[in-house]
Amino acid sequence: MPLIRPGIRRLFDLTLRRRDRVKHDVEEEIALHIDLRAEQLRARGTGPDEARLEALRRFGTLDLALPAMAQTAYRRDRRMGIREWLEATAQDTRYALRGLRREPLFTGFAVATLALGIGANAAVYGVVDRLLIRGPEHLNDPDRIVRITATITDERRGEVTFGSFGWVMYDNLRRHATAFDGVAAYDRGSTTLGRGRTARVIESGYATADFFTVLGVRPALGRFYQADEDDPVSPARVVVIGDALWRGQFGGDRSIVGREIELGDGQYTVVGVAPKGFTGVNLRRVDVWIPMSISSRNVTSDWTRSWNASWLQLVGRVKQGVTPAAAGAEATRAHRASYDGLPSRNLAQARIGLVPLHFTGEGTEASETAVSRWLLGVTVVVLLIACTNVSNLLLARAVRRRGEVGVRLALGAARARLARLFLTESVLLAAFGGVMALLVAAGISTMVRQFLLSDIEWPASPVSARVLGVCLFVSLVVGLAVGLAPAAHAARGSLMSAIQRGHPSGRRLGFGAWPTVLQAGLTASLLIGAGLFTLSLHRARTAHLGFESERVLVGQIYWIDEDQSDSAAQAVARAERAQAWQRALERVRVMPGIERAALGVGSPFGSSFSIRLFVPGWDSIPRLPTGGPYISAVTSDYFATVGTRLMRGRVFRETEREGTDRVAVVNETMARTLWPDRDAIGQCIRMWEVHGPCSRVVGIVEDARRYELREEPTMQYYIPLGQERGFGGTSLFARPQSTPRSVADALKHTIETNDALIERAVAWPMREAIDPILRPWRLGATIFGLGGLLALLVAALGLYSVMSYSVAQRSHELGVRIALGASSRRIVALVMRQSLVLAAAGLAGGILVAVWSGRWVEGLLFETTVREPSVIGLTIAVLVATAVAASLLPALRARSVDPMRALRSD
Amino acid sequence: MAESLPVVKGTLDVLVLKALSWGPMHGFEVTRWLEERSGGKLGIEDSALYQSLYRLEERGFLSGEWGVTENNRRARYYRVTSDGRTHLRAQATQWVKYAEAVSGILSAPARST
Repeated sequence: MPLIRPGIRRLFDLTLRRRDRVKHDVEEEIALHIDLRAEQLRARGTGPDEARLEALRRFGTLDLALPAMAQTAYRRDRRMGIREWLEATAQDTRYALRGLRREPLFTGFAVATLALGIGANAAVYGVVDRLLIRGPEHLNDPDRIVRITATITDERRGEVTFGSFGWVMYDNLRRHATAFDGVAAYDRGSTTLGRGRTARVIESGYATADFFTVLGVRPALGRFYQADEDDPVSPARVVVIGDALWRGQFGGDRSIVGREIELGDGQYTVVGVAPKGFTGVNLRRVDVWIPMSISSRNVTSDWTRSWNASWLQLVGRVKQGVTPAAAGAEATRAHRASYDGLPSRNLAQARIGLVPLHFTGEGTEASETAVSRWLLGVTVVVLLIACTNVSNLLLARAVRRRGEVGVRLALGAARARLARLFLTESVLLAAFGGVMALLVAAGISTMVRQFLLSDIEWPASPVSARVLGVCLFVSLVVGLAVGLAPAAHAARGSLMSAIQRGHPSGRRLGFGAWPTVLQAGLTASLLIGAGLFTLSLHRARTAHLGFESERVLVGQIYWIDEDQSDSAAQAVARAERAQAWQRALERVRVMPGIERAALGVGSPFGSSFSIRLFVPGWDSIPRLPTGGPYISAVTSDYFATVGTRLMRGRVFRETEREGTDRVAVVNETMARTLWPDRDAIGQCIRMWEVHGPCSRVVGIVEDARRYELREEPTMQYYIPLGQERGFGGTSLFARPQSTPRSVADALKHTIETNDALIERAVAWPMREAIDPILRPWRLGATIFGLGGLLALLVAALGLYSVMSYSVAQRSHELGVRIALGASSRRIVALVMRQSLVLAAAGLAGGILVAVWSGRWVEGLLFETTVREPSVIGLTIAVLVATAVAASLLPALRARSVDPMRALRSD
Repeated sequence: MAESLPVVKGTLDVLVLKALSWGPMHGFEVTRWLEERSGGKLGIEDSALYQSLYRLEERGFLSGEWGVTENNRRARYYRVTSDGRTHLRAQATQWVKYAEAVSGILSAPARST
């Protein structure tokens, strides 16, 4: 079989040998002239040979004239070719436009289908462009900027890669890793802007001074802070504000530089404004950039020396001409040589790795990136379905217009010209589709930005020049692609022979069959995807995490700030605040609509603490891969409030607090790990010191997840609030009778009123802390859901058009059947069966594809396998129902075929 | 033919257009027409004539099409386009004015000094 089908080749048979032909023509013209001249001379009496010579002489220097003439002729010919082509195109366009206007239903459907397909792709391109292609804004020479990770070998877990580091390691790499132009550290969090109850929460970025030079970014106004302002010993209270905050909060006032602003922990001097859209190396908005040394002081007091805490993310600029692998090896060497922590730790032999910025610290792609890739995949499939559909419609239409095509051929229209006409039509359709697609793209982009990727900063408008370009390009490709099949048929002439045979391609189902099966298959796989992600989302959302996040509100207090310089004053303040917390708890307890309330230090998806712990019978506590054991200090009602179930024993009593009997509650994992063959209740644990006071275990509660949905078991234990030492940060937990969100404001108000110590309070549903980790499934469910719905719609309309067409084609056969006495019911069943066969074939293919591609998807699902029977069953039901609905009208129409008319038409 | 006059540069195109304004002709017919009308006084090299024809066609003043002579030979026939007609009118008027002016000067009686 030839590589290119003859029909298509003829379609593009351009006059490649035009130059030769033109030259030959010129020679022929001259030859005629010389012959005629010689003839003329002979008629006047010159001898034949002489006449010929004289004719040649009079013509002039042939070898000079000929190339010049050939060149002119070629130029003229080419220009006329273009003009002719333009004229023909204009004519085709006019003709195609007339044809499209005559069938508004067909045109509208085709344009709408293409608009959806192209628009979805253009919109998703905008997302992918931001997340994958262009990455963060304002980076200079971004290819050389990398994220730094470390990989250690853990006895239990094998290789573990992580991306957060302590200051010492950063400082060592900065000083000793010679493969980099610079290494910088950053972190992010949130703070408040302003004072009092009007203060608002803003996004903060913490970065070392070299962060800005490593990225190569320039400020829009003022300057970035310098190394001496980020001094570990005495950092300056300076801040660089983001463009959005500058415009939103300060009205873009250029005199902002040098002014003081009030952030969460005090006054800061604004030294500069970051350029619009600058988000560091991530894509999330940053309102203020604060020197790393200021925020690092909150980590530990010995943060410049400690190897025990890690809070910094590192980026580096690799030197020109150094490969990432070489730079990584060099950094590994530098790290190992400069490591001065405990020699026994895994970290001593850590391997430094360099990954692209859109990777996480764990050395894998960020979920947004994976999502955008899925998004692209789904929209490409939708576009494919849309194209098959329109192509199918065009074919059916071509057959419908066989009379007209026949007349044109009879009138001598070249087949190539006919093919061009079909292509013109499809390109026109795609062009209209492309224009409409811009609207679709704007809509989809806005939706994706608002609902799917809302915390990402989007500097460009939804329909940017690049999106526009993609729209245009895709439209053109689509236009040519969908027109190719009918055009090739026309060029090959098989269209006519098919028409003459009565059945297109001689088969009963006709052209439409395979594309329809393909559509059904693609739709089925999208629907299965939607089902799997929705199921995952549902399971993740309802998974019991060891607490009931959907029933709980969390509250926190901002204190009226007093400057506590000496430790005695600090201790007093701490005691006063503990009392204020108790008073707040009492107020909340009597609040209408609140079932229970409790206080706690250390909570799931909030903060967690680990202190030194000694257990009689153990030389050292066994270390689980997840670290710990983790401690929380809670009031008696905590477990009932957050919904952590008591398994055995009892929880704390109201009377168990600071200064009373020391008691503890452990979780099941801790009980099982520390006392495998004994009852944990009644055992003794000692905190902080080997000979410290003994805390008796009085109860065992279920495990609660700390930060992830999927988490290895962790040892956790609880002590009464007030008995803790060395860690702090109280939160209030309240369990309302109704939905938490509806009570949040009232709770905030109750906490912050009637207490002179409290400046203001905040309260939020615990669910909000968990929501971000549900995002991958929410995204997947939304993407596949929308894609599946779109595909279903398009496929249904496609099936409808194919069935209508098929019924029209078979009217003769149906007429015969009716004449022979077939009942209406049998006729309807006949048509329905045909449609169901198509749907079933597609379904089978789609399910096979989905199951086969499962291994790539399963990692993204939550406790759900690709072979989920409910999802597959539902997909089958939906597709079958759609097939029935789509073929109902054509089937009913088939019933009313008039046998006499059908028979007479032959 | 020894007496033939050289054609002033730029004139040939106008002459060719004029010739063809009588109707479509092929190259040799144009040559013959010009020779007859000028009584053989104009010395036009045949190749120059063809280059003029090609030039005019390229500029859109002529359109050429293949046809057949009385003797059944394939020949390229040229026809003046409407652009060509406009051009001819403009050029001809200019030429006549120019020629009048030049001959007016040249034929004026010489002043005796």
